[in-house]
Amino acid sequence: MKTLRLITFLVALLVVNTNEFYPQKLTGFQIMEKVYDRPEGNDMTSDLTMTLKNDSGDERVRKIKQFTRDFGTMEKKIMFFVSPADVKNTSFMNWSYSRQGQDDDQWIYLPALKKTKRISSESKSDYFMGSDFTYDDLGDRQPNEDSHKLLKEEKYNSDDCYVIESKPEQLDYMYSRTVSWVAKDKWIVLKKEFYDEDGDLLKTLTVKKFENISGILVVTHTEMKNVQKNHQTIMDLKNVKIDSGIEDSKFTERIMTRGL
Amino acid sequence: MNKILIGLLKYPYWIFGITLVITIVFLSQMAQNSRMETNLDEYMPQEHPAFVYSNQAENWFNIKDGIIVAVRNEKNIYNEETLTIIKKLTKTFQKMPQVEKDDVTSLYTADNIIGTEDGMDVKSFYSSIPASQEELDDLRKKVKANKMVYGRLVSEDETVSMIIAAINDDVFTQEFYEEILSIARETETENVSIYVAGRPIVEGTMALLGPADMKKMVPIVLLVITIVLYLTLRSIRSTILTLLVVLLSTIWAFGLMALVSIPIYAVSTMIPVMLIAIGVADGIHLFSHLQLFRWKNPEVELKDAVSDMLNKMWKPVVMTSVTTAVGFISLLTSQVYPIKYFGLFTAFGVLSAMLFSLVILPAGIMIFKLPAAKQRKAEKNDINSGFSIAEKILKYKSISILITVIIIAVSIAGIGKVWINSSFLDKFEKDSDIVLTDAFINQHFGGTSTLNLILDSKEPGAFKKPEVLRLVNRMQTEVVAANPQVGNSFSLTDYVNRMNKVMHADSAEYDNIPGNQELIAQYILLYEMSGDPENLWKVVDYNYQKLNVNFQLKSDNSKTINSAINKVETFKDDFQKLGIDMNYAGSGYTGLVFTDLILEGQIMSLVLSLFIVIMLLGLMFKNIWIGLIGSIPISITAIISFGIMGWSGIPLNTTTALLSSIAIGIGIDFAVHFIEQYKLYSTRGDKLLTAEKTISHSGRAILFNAVVVIAGFLVLLFSVFPPNRELGALVSANMFISFAGTLTIMLIMLNKSNIFFKNKKDN
Repeated sequence: MKTLRLITFLVALLVVNTNEFYPQKLTGFQIMEKVYDRPEGNDMTSDLTMTLKNDSGDERVRKIKQFTRDFGTMEKKIMFFVSPADVKNTSFMNWSYSRQGQDDDQWIYLPALKKTKRISSESKSDYFMGSDFTYDDLGDRQPNEDSHKLLKEEKYNSDDCYVIESKPEQLDYMYSRTVSWVAKDKWIVLKKEFYDEDGDLLKTLTVKKFENISGILVVTHTEMKNVQKNHQTIMDLKNVKIDSGIEDSKFTERIMTRGL
Repeated sequence: MNKILIGLLKYPYWIFGITLVITIVFLSQMAQNSRMETNLDEYMPQEHPAFVYSNQAENWFNIKDGIIVAVRNEKNIYNEETLTIIKKLTKTFQKMPQVEKDDVTSLYTADNIIGTEDGMDVKSFYSSIPASQEELDDLRKKVKANKMVYGRLVSEDETVSMIIAAINDDVFTQEFYEEILSIARETETENVSIYVAGRPIVEGTMALLGPADMKKMVPIVLLVITIVLYLTLRSIRSTILTLLVVLLSTIWAFGLMALVSIPIYAVSTMIPVMLIAIGVADGIHLFSHLQLFRWKNPEVELKDAVSDMLNKMWKPVVMTSVTTAVGFISLLTSQVYPIKYFGLFTAFGVLSAMLFSLVILPAGIMIFKLPAAKQRKAEKNDINSGFSIAEKILKYKSISILITVIIIAVSIAGIGKVWINSSFLDKFEKDSDIVLTDAFINQHFGGTSTLNLILDSKEPGAFKKPEVLRLVNRMQTEVVAANPQVGNSFSLTDYVNRMNKVMHADSAEYDNIPGNQELIAQYILLYEMSGDPENLWKVVDYNYQKLNVNFQLKSDNSKTINSAINKVETFKDDFQKLGIDMNYAGSGYTGLVFTDLILEGQIMSLVLSLFIVIMLLGLMFKNIWIGLIGSIPISITAIISFGIMGWSGIPLNTTTALLSSIAIGIGIDFAVHFIEQYKLYSTRGDKLLTAEKTISHSGRAILFNAVVVIAGFLVLLFSVFPPNRELGALVSANMFISFAGTLTIMLIMLNKSNIFFKNKKDN
């Protein structure tokens, strides 16, 4: 009898796959909630290098200095172009609201025209600056907008991951489902697959690098590949500062016109 | 050679058996391996620089041919019903597996760049259907104010709107076309009618209609040929044997094609045409000889009669076939693979026909015990009339020469009028649906055909420079203004003009390219942020180093494309000064280059084969003058048939160009048989008698041959597909010219030259 118990225990250990000692198995929803709730800091300053690659292998590189601050019900972001030279000091401000259905407010300042203009994006499914990221991909999607299912647990690179399938509750979402690889102890999505309305794989997001900055894990290098168009966007963050106390007054039209 | 052939007469069943086995092998190969090549790209010489560049450019800018669906409401399109149909059709096409979602353009998908109080917006014109009259009026105003859409996706009279579904070259099938047509038909209502056009439709329909029509017509052609053949040979068995030669050689040609896994191209459908025209000749000459021999020597055994036939005829049969085959092999010089294959397999077919004529035909005669046809009185008259014809021709030779010279002169003048046409649309009936729909869309919009001008700079960012974009803009305006066939043009400039305008409170004053590169770059960045940047990559590349300028043309014919290109080329120097090269891309342009290549190859091969024929005949008859005289039927047939095309306005295209090959094949047949007979009869030393005998012997066979083929191909005049009608008319004309040329001017030249007689005197 004792031997039997031992075997059962060993088998169970194998199935649960080692260093996992939660008494109860987490549900998909709980896992995604932990991802959503992971602390990200109140504000962030960084130098973003965005590299776009098309299917003929052409490359475009944009350097941007960006400031973000979380105001609870809204997130404000301001970006200044550093290069290419002909768009230097062009700035872009985005206020996004956590209330569902409320469109982002967006402004752009064109130094050549010396004017700030409002622009509007019709939906979150628009691609951000010609990249492979939609505004939605860049923002945090609330866990209750999807139904989540834990598919399996497996190793991704050297990290133990939960593999979660998420399907939108509402039908008009741009993806029919997404599959995320969530690192167990870090609650970071290391890889994510996006499936289009027809259920075909559309894009793959991979996190190549994350760093511990001021006690917070910050993803600093990601690649998004659109497999249908063979188009790729690489986002690389440098000089990341967390919680440096960016003031509310940083996010105004006047600051936009001032440049760097 | 003739000994072997006569020896084979002992084993007719074996010969039939072996041929049958080989034929069955070829047939089974055809059943397994034959496939029709429908992808037009496979026809193009992909390594040719123009195609290499065009293919690259098609990749850079996602250039594809579009199926155009026009939605028409006679009142106007701004009502719930029409707008719903536009939306529904757009979504239907986007969901089709043959179409990529981003490749569908319509009022529903179009971006509207508009100026607002405090900035710029890129919005769709509508997503849910406007319900109130107010909203409808608003939409109407928005469309009218946007030049990027007004006149392009919505006609200026507001009654028609276009949906364009761009597709890859290889997805068009009959089923796909039927599906689109049935979607269109089902969607039509009392108020809204729907039209389907565009190059894929035209190209696809043509690729399907041509062979389908041929399939219907060929049995009738064969039937007519059979009947006429029977009337001339006056023996069912001879008729069957002659047709068997054509049939077997066609099977062998296509069988070999299947064996070496080469697909059937559209031009390959011309192989049976060639083999019918050329293959019946040997049979007719052989039977004609046999018949005449048996009339003269009724007491001779059948086997001896056949032996005599082989003795006298094997040489001209081999000579004509080898020369014709070499003529076709000269098509290997063409840069276009389907044409090379056409030449090669026709040559193989011609040589097979030779083999069958010399082996199967005699074997068949032995097996079927061909009875000697009774000579009718009329036929005796025939021979007499042959005599009198020869006499007359030689009597009035100066008139013959004069007439020939005049006809040649008129034809040469006509050749100057021959025009090359790569148009697909021009191949359809003027009142066919496809032509009418095309005309309807051309009347309301810029045009159903596209010419892509690709500007290529060495310097990245060149197409953000004001001076460059201003030049592009000026060129676009001038090309459209100068040529009524160019409906409109579209490029990056249209985006920049529009954005400059809306960012300056919609002032028409700013509907132009700003003079500041930073501003242009920032506008584009702004568009990328708020619009669908995918649209930009259809007109400019990533590094702003290459630009795609679209010109919409109202016709796909070569004249229109060339006149647009000529106007564009006047800007070449200006662009060169800015370090920018010009190139062209797209299916309209490559079609043009392709047609030129075919013609170039065809003319090259015509000249080359003429030269080879002269040399071969010169060698065979051991006299170069005979070579020159023997080339007369070919030369005059080619010249006159091009002349006819010039005067009658039949354009040169891939089909009609290939017909010059038939001139070679038939011309050689006639010339060689005639000269060979002339030589045989010349031994008697009487010039007039030689001519008379040749006319009533060879001339008779040549007449039969001409009558049989002309009667058969005249059937094609009743075809519903214009290119097939042209084919019928031109083959018949070629046949007649060769016939007339051989019996008149060539006979006169032979007679005047005294070649065979001089030799006698020397001896």
